[in-house]
Amino acid sequence: MTATVERAPESGTVRRLLAGGLVSGAVLAVLAATALTAEEAVPGIALPGPLVEYGLPVLRVLLDLAAVAVVGLSLLPKLLGFDEPERTEPVMRRARPLAVTFAWAWAVLALVVIVFQTAELNPGALPTPGMIAEYVDNVGAGQGMLFSAACALAYAGFGLLAVRFGEKVPAELRIVIAFFGLLPIPVTGHAVDSVWHDPIMISMELHVMGSAAWTGGLLTIIMLVAADRGLLARVLPKFSRLATLALVLVSVSGLVNGLATMALTQGVELPGAVFTSDYGLLVVAKTACVALLVPFAAHIRFRLLPRIAERQGTAVAAWAAAEITVMGLAYGVAVALTTASMS
Amino acid sequence: MRRILTVLLFACAALLGVVTPAQAHNVLIGSDPKDGAQLATGPEKITLTFDQPVRQGFAQISVTGPDGSRWEDGKTAVDSQEVGVGVRPLGPAGQYVVGYRILSSDGHPVAGKITFTLTAAGPGTASQPAPASSAAAPQAPDLSAQAAEAAQNGGAGMAVLWIAAALVVLGGATVVALRRTRGPGAAE
Repeated sequence: MTATVERAPESGTVRRLLAGGLVSGAVLAVLAATALTAEEAVPGIALPGPLVEYGLPVLRVLLDLAAVAVVGLSLLPKLLGFDEPERTEPVMRRARPLAVTFAWAWAVLALVVIVFQTAELNPGALPTPGMIAEYVDNVGAGQGMLFSAACALAYAGFGLLAVRFGEKVPAELRIVIAFFGLLPIPVTGHAVDSVWHDPIMISMELHVMGSAAWTGGLLTIIMLVAADRGLLARVLPKFSRLATLALVLVSVSGLVNGLATMALTQGVELPGAVFTSDYGLLVVAKTACVALLVPFAAHIRFRLLPRIAERQGTAVAAWAAAEITVMGLAYGVAVALTTASMS
Repeated sequence: MRRILTVLLFACAALLGVVTPAQAHNVLIGSDPKDGAQLATGPEKITLTFDQPVRQGFAQISVTGPDGSRWEDGKTAVDSQEVGVGVRPLGPAGQYVVGYRILSSDGHPVAGKITFTLTAAGPGTASQPAPASSAAAPQAPDLSAQAAEAAQNGGAGMAVLWIAAALVVLGGATVVALRRTRGPGAAE
């Protein structure tokens, strides 16, 4: 209906809208959730200052978003296919340096997060290299972050080779390294001690990988491919199947993880704790985010996709921007959830 | 796609094998004296019991009296699931707050408090109202000593060194490569 002839100026606004929506949604959600779940002051115990208390979650969520961007950009070559290099190569030529940049951001943020985590454990003291080494040596969360940073750096290395040599660097290799870097992140979050620990951990890994593929894929497609209707007609249906799978995977694994973690923690009574504990409330908030995503996703899938497949102009970018903002909110809540108290 | 999934699942399994000496978020399940207890005589020791073993180091317990004075005595000791600290003979009657912050076995700091009420005044006097930071301070020297030891043994210190080196090399390569692509890219 609307005139979509002038593509160039519009795509700039769309890009700002997407990135702005995702980042501001995530940061606002994490700040609100952190304020809600703030550790109550305990007399006689030094707690970390506001810089650490709010800085650490914000850095954590920015790290997640950088990782999401890297995963999305890695999936792009698989979604574009390799049949028509003259059409896909211009897109890929923009995607590859972007992937390297975001991998850098990911690695640096992971290292800064380690410093902040050390500061969180040593309130009132400025972290020294010795304290940081001690933290990484002793605490699994530090080792996980270090491993994630190493993967991000390895990705940056392979990404650079891809910038130089193009698709001769296998796309699968980059996808695997990017996902590998995601794996240790949930290990730094909550865990339960029971025979169900391993299944819950696997479901958590699936949750993280599913949400990264979903958010990252949608973000990259709308950012880099939406301007070319012919290409979008080919890529979006392919991605739509992946997204449907991710939606089911993410919502099921998320609910299972949240409820199982509460059920297996001593002193937490299940039906009541959902609405009384910080953890339970955040699980409810995340469930609400996913519920909110469904209508957006369904609109794109069932109303817009048939028209996109016929190469008609649609408002898909605006709908996707709304969807991605909600995803940002969910990421923000997720970061607060990893450290929220159970009781 | 299927090949990637297989690789990922294997990676997942391998990682789990390495990282998971089952660690959980600690929850306070009991204490001596109990939360909200009414005591005629002050306890000699406060013991907090968690559902999981607590990590050594980082644990702090404080006992704050009704007038804001501090009554804990000595260093906080961690014995598996139990964290304890000695208490000086308590003084005025009223509500005492036991605050704690421990490092949970999954690596998160967990803080909280319990309270008990002293019904009859004890013999103790608030001699030194300890500043709040004193609990954290004594840990700093032995921390850095341990870290130096770890660095010598090639623990995290070496890893940090490797990562720093990788950062420098990759950083240089990124700048060179991106500048090279931007050159012809600007023309199109």
